[in-house]
Amino acid sequence: MVKKLTVVILAVLVSAMVFTQTITFWHTQVETDRQQRIRALAQIFEAQTGITVNLVPIEENEILEQIPRAVQSGTLPDVIEGGISPILLLGSQGFMDTELNAKIIEDFGDVYEGVSRLMQAPDGGYYGVPFHAWVQGIWYKANLFEERDLGAPTSWYNILTAAKALNDPANGFYGMILPKKADAYTEQVFSQIALSNGARPIDKDGNILFNTPEMIESFRFYKELGKYSRPGFTAVPEALNGYLNNEAAMVFYSTYIMDDIAVEEVQKNRVEQFDPKLVENTGFANFMINTRPSSFGEVVGLGILKTSENKDAAEQWVKFLMSGSNYIYWLHMAPGGMNPTRSSIAQMDEFLDNPVLERYGKDQITTIISALDTVERFEFMEGEIIEEMSILSGNFVIGRAINRMFANDWTPQQTAQWAQEEAERLLSE
Amino acid sequence: MQRFRELSPLKKKEATFGWKLVSPAIILIGLFILYPVLYNIYLSFFEVSLTPGVPNKFVGLQNYKELLTDPTFWNSFGITMLYVLITVVGSILVGLGIALLMNKEFPGRGIVRALILFPYVAPVISTVFAWQYVLMPLNGPLTILLSNLGIMDVTKDLVNDPNNAFIVVSFYSIWKNFPFIYLMILSRLQSIPQDYYEAADIDGANGWQKFHHITLPELYYVIGSLVLLRGIWNFYKFEEVYLLSKEARTLPIYLYEKAFTGLPELGVAAAIATVLFVVMMVLISIYVRKVLKW
Repeated sequence: MVKKLTVVILAVLVSAMVFTQTITFWHTQVETDRQQRIRALAQIFEAQTGITVNLVPIEENEILEQIPRAVQSGTLPDVIEGGISPILLLGSQGFMDTELNAKIIEDFGDVYEGVSRLMQAPDGGYYGVPFHAWVQGIWYKANLFEERDLGAPTSWYNILTAAKALNDPANGFYGMILPKKADAYTEQVFSQIALSNGARPIDKDGNILFNTPEMIESFRFYKELGKYSRPGFTAVPEALNGYLNNEAAMVFYSTYIMDDIAVEEVQKNRVEQFDPKLVENTGFANFMINTRPSSFGEVVGLGILKTSENKDAAEQWVKFLMSGSNYIYWLHMAPGGMNPTRSSIAQMDEFLDNPVLERYGKDQITTIISALDTVERFEFMEGEIIEEMSILSGNFVIGRAINRMFANDWTPQQTAQWAQEEAERLLSE
Repeated sequence: MQRFRELSPLKKKEATFGWKLVSPAIILIGLFILYPVLYNIYLSFFEVSLTPGVPNKFVGLQNYKELLTDPTFWNSFGITMLYVLITVVGSILVGLGIALLMNKEFPGRGIVRALILFPYVAPVISTVFAWQYVLMPLNGPLTILLSNLGIMDVTKDLVNDPNNAFIVVSFYSIWKNFPFIYLMILSRLQSIPQDYYEAADIDGANGWQKFHHITLPELYYVIGSLVLLRGIWNFYKFEEVYLLSKEARTLPIYLYEKAFTGLPELGVAAAIATVLFVVMMVLISIYVRKVLKW
């Protein structure tokens, strides 16, 4: 009897080992609470399908560096969650399964066209499935703007006027918090400024355009804003803490800031004092205009890789993550920051049933999500992908140019010239 | 030397046994040291493909040509040499000074000696965060102290300013690594016979003369070896520099960026590694012959 039982147990174990599939999933949600949620989702998925998901969290700024390493060591994941740059980089190198990603979008049938376009491969198919998205803009102390009768910071004129008027360094308060570090955040902020002035680093024909008058003007505006911004070269956490700590009147930030502004526990993780009036006193300028209006945002995609040996399991995982309550559970890890890319989910009461989203209200959330259809980026121009941009982004050319402009007190012309030469050097290699 | 076949049966067995004993070490060295070095040299002649199914393309000396004509490479090379010079000299001077102090008797010496080791034994990541914190603009404690002393403006961001980053990482390296120097020198200091100093006292030598004619010659080979070790380590130093500030553009950072950022150029990166290897081997062999007189 004991022998029989042992044989049965062994058979079950062996079959379990043989038939259990494991997929590797890279994601950029490195915060502990977010990782807990993703682990929970992976456990539910495993219980439902028997497929184990090996979770690998990677810092957003590091993902472009991890890809070549993984390519060389043959440790690329089956599915990757990442911003446009890594997905485009992988796609342009032939790593993404464009057909399978397209099939998933088609199977869902309700993925917003605007965000899908940003993941489209030039020869048909999609480099990834748009998973969630955020919009960037200026978050500002609306009460101070009202007191001084300042216009909303949507135009260059209004932004600079408000930064000058509200800058009060003697009392530790600044007009703005502006990133000046050589990283992705600086590039994101500069992108919105340049696009609102009709400037782009590269056009559709591959011409490098850093030394155009529009681009030089954008560097000039950025440098001018720097005069009224909080000292330091500023990365993302310092910008967020500075705004929550009431150190500045304006900050460039994505909609990820919404829970930090609204929820006491989240805010207290960052700063000591909770400001209950911060939600009411904060405004959001979701577009910018100088010569033309422009919105900036990021779509985070889920891409299945061509190299994956478990395509079926990978497809199931992507569909699991983007369906019903699983999807909402994921999106609620950063309410406001992670917006759904499927219209059916965006309209679900269950999605809006959240303490943060409730505080902002359905209208503001709908406005944010609708901006995703008009989001502009340097990587896309008139429906075409400019793949060279991922090389410039991977090497932080814009971030480094701005960093040097402030550190060396370069003129906007010198900055543009440096960026031009650096881009030419990188793209000619 | 006798040929193997001319040996007596017993000696033959002994020799075979000897080879068997060392063979695991030879295999491991071959696998983990020789193979990567040779593979790296091999890669440096190729344009390495990242796309699956596309083979590497042989480009001959093109990668070396590209590298040696790249001003960024030479700039990084100069910065690296300066970094090695400053950090090695700095940490040896600080280590020597503190070892001399700690060699004297005073109450609580044991605790102080142990505390001095802290920077060296603490994990790099925690000390890097601590440095970034104390040097933050506006709120960093050290920034506030330096600005109160009138040395620096409180708004200055020392760590992230590309003009200062090199100075900050050099100071950090000296601070982080001097305890190792101190430990080595102290242990040598303790083994210098007291008779030498007593004899010098009888001859009427002063403190400086005793240091110059007894202590320093006795420390010559320890310091010589430390310069060699720290020189090699700091020449390749990556994590300390990269974690503290990505703006200090030393060669290992340049190599890392070539290999792993944007669209990586692994062939060029392999060529950099080969050039570094050759430069290092030449410098070491000159140093070992001239200074250490081995």
